[in-house]
This record gives sequence, structure tokens and C-alpha cells, in this order.
Amino acid sequence: MELRTSLSLLCVLLCMLGNQAITPHRDRPEDYTPATHTPEDYTPDTPVLPHFTGCRSREQETFRCWWSAGTFSNLSEPGALVVFFQMKNTPLSDWQECPEYTATVENECYFSKTFTHIWTSYCVQLRATAQNITYDEFCFTVENIVHPDPPVGLNWTLLNVSRSGLNFDILVRWAPPPSADVHTGWMSLKYEVQYRQRNASHWDKLDLESGTQQSIYGLQTDKEYEVRIHCKMSAFHNFGEFSDSIFVHVAPIPSKESVFPTMVLLVSGVVGLLILLMLVIFSQQQRLMVILLPPVPAPKIKGIDPELLKKGKMDQLNSLLSSQHMYNQDTYREDPWVEFIQLDLDDAGEKSGSSDTQRLLGFTRPGPKGDDDSGRASCYDPDLLPDAEGLLAAHCEMEEHHPLVSESGPSTPSPEATDAPFLPFRTQPVGQSWINMDFYAQVSDVTPAGGVVLSPGQQSETPGMNPDEKKKKGEDAGDEEVEKEKKLQLLVVGSDGGYSPEVVARQVESSAPYSPAPENAYHALPPEPGEEPQTWSVGYLVPDGEAQAPYFLPEAPPASVLPPVSDYTVVQEVDGQHSLLLNPSAPQSPACPPNPTKHLPSMPAVPMGYLTPELLENLSP
Amino acid sequence: MSRNQKQAVLFVALLCLDLRTHVGSAPICPHGHTGCHILSLADLFDRVIQHSARLHGLSSDLHSEFEHFFLPSKNHIGRVYRKCHTSSILTPNGKENAQKLAREELTEVILKLLTAWRDPLSQLHQSMAHQQDFNSFSSNKALELSDMVHELRKGVEKVTEKMQLLGMISNSVNGLSSSEALLPASESGEAMSDYELVYCFRRDSDKVQNYLKILKCRIVPEHGC
Repeated sequence: MELRTSLSLLCVLLCMLGNQAITPHRDRPEDYTPATHTPEDYTPDTPVLPHFTGCRSREQETFRCWWSAGTFSNLSEPGALVVFFQMKNTPLSDWQECPEYTATVENECYFSKTFTHIWTSYCVQLRATAQNITYDEFCFTVENIVHPDPPVGLNWTLLNVSRSGLNFDILVRWAPPPSADVHTGWMSLKYEVQYRQRNASHWDKLDLESGTQQSIYGLQTDKEYEVRIHCKMSAFHNFGEFSDSIFVHVAPIPSKESVFPTMVLLVSGVVGLLILLMLVIFSQQQRLMVILLPPVPAPKIKGIDPELLKKGKMDQLNSLLSSQHMYNQDTYREDPWVEFIQLDLDDAGEKSGSSDTQRLLGFTRPGPKGDDDSGRASCYDPDLLPDAEGLLAAHCEMEEHHPLVSESGPSTPSPEATDAPFLPFRTQPVGQSWINMDFYAQVSDVTPAGGVVLSPGQQSETPGMNPDEKKKKGEDAGDEEVEKEKKLQLLVVGSDGGYSPEVVARQVESSAPYSPAPENAYHALPPEPGEEPQTWSVGYLVPDGEAQAPYFLPEAPPASVLPPVSDYTVVQEVDGQHSLLLNPSAPQSPACPPNPTKHLPSMPAVPMGYLTPELLENLSP
Repeated sequence: MSRNQKQAVLFVALLCLDLRTHVGSAPICPHGHTGCHILSLADLFDRVIQHSARLHGLSSDLHSEFEHFFLPSKNHIGRVYRKCHTSSILTPNGKENAQKLAREELTEVILKLLTAWRDPLSQLHQSMAHQQDFNSFSSNKALELSDMVHELRKGVEKVTEKMQLLGMISNSVNGLSSSEALLPASESGEAMSDYELVYCFRRDSDKVQNYLKILKCRIVPEHGC
């Protein structure tokens, strides 16, 4: 397909060139008007043949054709050239000569209505009269050569002037050309308005208009404008001649004073507003900051002042927080058990020379003690088991001599009361809890006799206390707590269940071979070897309301060797300075029956005096 | 579902009937007032004339595009005499001739022309669509032309009926549905080329437009007619 079209194009081009060579035709004779284009304007050197300069119709009812003789001056005489035309109808007509040569106009052939057939192809030929030469041929259809006459009655009216007085709009009106029969609809015209400034070269064109009026917007007041119009048949391309130009000019209206104050007002208003805004911002800076960037709320606890948290002292804080029931501070200070541990120093120190520990451990301190029969169990209570005779003896002595012991709870001959004699300390309400006790104490020193001196961790020091005793006491206090703990553990382990401290005590007291003793008890050995292992067990408060205070059961040490258990000490006695003296080598009260613990097999001497679990195994009955 | 289908069909048929009756009666004003009828005829004519003007514009645009494509040699139009297939139809060649022609004949000529171009235009569209030379815009224009001719013919038929109803023209304008099938053929008997078709149609659409305008002026009395 492309090859075909290219070939056809090539042929067409050749034909065109050939035609141009033969006859000086113009492709579109309709475009040329005889007035504007004359062959004489072109190069006169080359010979120009006679030719048609154009054919036009004004109203689609008649048409005219013009020709030129060219450089052939001899043919310019009238009659030398003739025009023949032919209408291409179905029966091809013959060539006819021009029906009318216009008399007034040179070289013009006029076709009247009778000879004008619309929608019919015409061909005109320019022939020389004398010779049989056709100089030019031109074919057309009439509707394609229609150039309407220019519209008439062009005028303008002012629409409005802008506020600034610089621009204005006009409305242009016209009438259709009188020759064109638009009323019957034979011709439907489209108009084009053009305008320009007075001395400009370029014309501004408006859109095609079917009606008879059009507005022009945006003209400037101080300038003069030229307006003209022409028309064409709708759906065709041939514009007619332009109408005569009209001139538009509007004088500028001086209205400057209206412009100036408004600008000033606007500027001043904006500036004032800005100043006000700045003032407001600067004066209310803080508030604005708060509004724009609100502070992050700090965590708040009811009733607590955050300032106090920052700067307050520990005491205040504690009081605060305790009131909040949020945490319990160390209540061990106010713990009655702690108090319980704190012995009455004044009386003990002054009244008797012997320490509480000694009394506790059964050192015989002869001395009358009032109120021996104040309800305490006597040492020779037959209910008491022979195992704990030593303990009992110690306890008895303690009862006699120790003022605190006098305050001890009721010690009845009942089996439960057997525990009571062993109360070395002041009884306290049942609601003692072991949790608050301080189980650990620091070993400060070891006495030459083999006692371990404990120093209390957090207990207040009383004046005049022997540092050794103090240490011992502290140590004992710590140890006893340790041992209590251990005792707890051991009790749980050793017992078959349903254990009660009474049972332990009974077991301890009753068992001759002392077989469970090694399991239940542990030894606190003094550094001296060869000493009899002394066991002491710690009983616990039975929570079922028995008035039993925690107590120590300083049993008579068994006859076996003391294994090295370093964690525990044996409380020998409690001295007047609230310290527990640990002296495993202290001789037992002779009044007390010998400890059946001596039945224990002899064990290798352990310097530390503690019983290890391995050694306990060896202590089999 | 068949029952529903039947109902739907009945409904559609009723609608169609309604439409037809509405189309048939037309005038807003009561029957008998001549002024009222003339007005409606004038509106019809205006509508038809607008349609024909648009048709002519489209054909002219298509013709311009063809000239861009083919670059016909100068005077190609005139040199080679193109015999359009509608040349056998006798048409008035001027304003006066058209004005002298009877209304019925003029109407008949219009209808003949419009009928003659129904098939050739569809043929033109098909041939243009197959060729690669034309863009889709041109081929769409050809399709639009064939549709418009079809509608215009219907519109003119309506106007004719109206005129016959009003007694402005006699009933001699026979139905042109069975008009002779004018096959587009050139002098040599070959099928006309696309360019020739477009050229001929442009001419004929101009004829139709002008004839309608003249007819309107004669039927509907206006100032200046």
C-alpha cells in the first residue's frame, strides 16, 4: 500500500511539474484576485504566457473570470484572446465562448445567472483568437469559488470601562452583505472580526461568528484601535474582501485618587495587624507556651508532695509512704521480738554478778532469789525427762536467778510446760512472728574459753556493755536465729510429719540413744576440740495459741565428738549485757543428771565444733 | 421465568406503542389551529436544516483531509470529470431553479439524494477502515456521515409527512423506501474511489442543505423569503 501511494505521489508531482512547464497555472485560482496578483509583478524577463488570473463568485449566482495576456503584448489587444467554457454535465456540452465580456473591465468574462450552474464543474479555456492555441485552462465548481462581499454597517458601542479606567470593552455590530441572500438561506455566512492597534502590523482575530454582533474585551483606553470584518460561506474556505476599518478610541478616565487611598489603607491595616500580633505574642509568651506546649503531667500519688520526694529525708519519706500502706519499712526495730531479745540490763547487771547466759546455761550461782515458787516448775519435776535434766537444771537456775526468767510465762508441770522452763527470755505475745527476726549476727570474737562472741547487727548498744559480751550476744542472737532457721529446716526434714516442737523436745528428752537428736539438733562447737558436743535445739512458737515463746533448748551436749560445723554456735549462757555466751566447754550443772547424749559414739574432735551432715550420719545410734 | 418474560415483552410493547402514538400526534396546541401547526413545522424544518448543515460541514472536513492525503494535481477536480452516481438525479442547479421547482418535487429530490447515499457511505467507511492511510479519526467521520445521512433522511420523511398531513403538499411524494438502488459507479463502470465518493458527497450534502432552506422558506412564510 505504501509503495502504491508513493508511486502515485511521484506521478502527481511529475504531472504537476509538467503542467507547470506547459501552462503557467496556479493550483488554486480561487485564491487569487485580479487586483492583487498580476503576472507583471513577477519576473518580467521570462516570458509569461497568457493565463487566467482568477474566477470568483460573490453571491453564488453569478461569477466572473479574469485573465492576463502576460508578456505577450501583442495579445493584450482586446479580442485577441477568447475564453471558452464547458460545463461538465452528463451530456457533455460543447465549448462555448464567454457569454459576456465585461465592457467596463478589461479581460473579464462575466457569467450571468443563466450561465451559472451551481454544483456543476466548469472548465474555461483561454485561447488565442487567431491561432488554435489554448494558453490556459481552468476548471472549477461555482460553490468553491464563492467569495462573499464584505459585511456592511460596521459600528461599535462601548460596553464598559474597568474600575481602574485602563481597559474597556466594546460591542461591534454589522450587517450581512446585501448581495448575499441570507434571508432565504441560500447563503449561510460566517464572519470574522479583526482588530489591531493603530500602527501595529499584526491583526488580532476573533472567533468566527454566525450572528451579526460580537464583543471585543480588554482594549486599552489610551490607545486607538482599528477594527475590520470579512466573511465566508460556512463549510467553505474562501473569505471575501475586508470591510472598511473603523477606529475605536476611549479616553482614559482619571480615577487615581480612588486607587491610592485604598492601597494605603490596606497596607496600613496589614502593618497594624502584624504589630498587634507581635505585641500579643510577646506579652503573653508564657501563657502561649503553656497553651501551645502544655507541660507533661508528672506522676502523682495522692497525699504525697512531690517536692518531698525530691528533697525529703529518709525518715519523712518512710513516714509518708508507710502512711500510704505501700510498703513496710523495716519494722523489725519495733518488733516485739526484738524487744523481747533486748534484756533488761539495769536490773540484771546490778542485781547479780552472773550473766544471763550463765544462768541460762545452768551455771550455779548460789544466791537467793525471791519468789522461787512463783509458779515456775522446779528443777526436780519428775515430769521432766532425764534427757533434759541438764537443761532443766540450767533452766532452774535461771529461773531462780534471772529476773527475766521470773517474768517468763507460766511454767506448768504439763508436758507443754516443759517447754516453759526453757524460756530464757521474757515471754511475749503469741503473735510473734519469726519473720521479723534478725537471723544473722556477726561473730566478733571468740573467747579463750571457747565461747563465740556475737555482736548484734542492728540492736542498739547499751552503755556499759562489755564489747565481748555484746559481741557474744550479737553472735548468739544471730546464731540462734540461724539455728532457729536451721532448726526449722531440720525439723521439717527429720520429722515424719505432724511435728511439733513439743515432740522434738520430748524426743530430745526421751530418746536415750539420742538417735533423732543428731537429725534434729545441731551442734555449736567451741573451738576447743574434744569437747562434748552440745546440741541445742530451738523450739518454735506454735501458732495455735499456746503461750510458748521461742526458746532455746540448750541440751546437755552429747558425749560424742563435736564435728566441725561452722555455721552455728551453741548458746551457753546469756550474760547481763544481752549477749549470748557460747561456751561448749562450760561444765554442766552437776545437779543435773548427766546428759544421755553422752551415749553418742565418740567422734573425732573437730575444732570448729559443728556438726556436718556427714558427721550426723555417723552419729547413728 | 417465562411468565416474567412475557410480562416484560408486553410492557416493552406497550411502551413502544405509546412512543409511536406520541410521535405521530406531535403538536402541543390543539388540533385545528393552523398557526400552531406551522410553528411546529418550522421547528422541524429548523432542526432538519441544522442537521444538514452539520452534515455538510463534516463532509467538507473529510474532503479537506482527503486532499491533504492525496495531493491532487491542480485542476484535478476539473480535469477529470467525475461522474457521481447521483448525477442521474435531476437537481436544480441554481437558486431560481430551486425556487421554481414544485415543493413536492423538491422534497422528492431531497429524499432521493439522501436515500442514494445510504449504502455508499457505509461502503466508504468500510473501505477507509481497512486502509492504513487514514487515521481512525477520518474513518470515524465516515461512519458518522453514514449515520447522519440515515437520520436526516428520517427527519425529512417526518417533515414530508407533516406537510402532507397539513395539506401543504400533495400526496404524490411516494414512499422512497423502495427507491432504485443507485450503485455508485464511475463512467468506466468501475467502483468509485474513496476520494471520488467524498467529493461527490460533499457536493450532494451542499445541495440538500440549500434545498431544505429553500423549501422551508417556501413552506413557512418568513420575512424575506
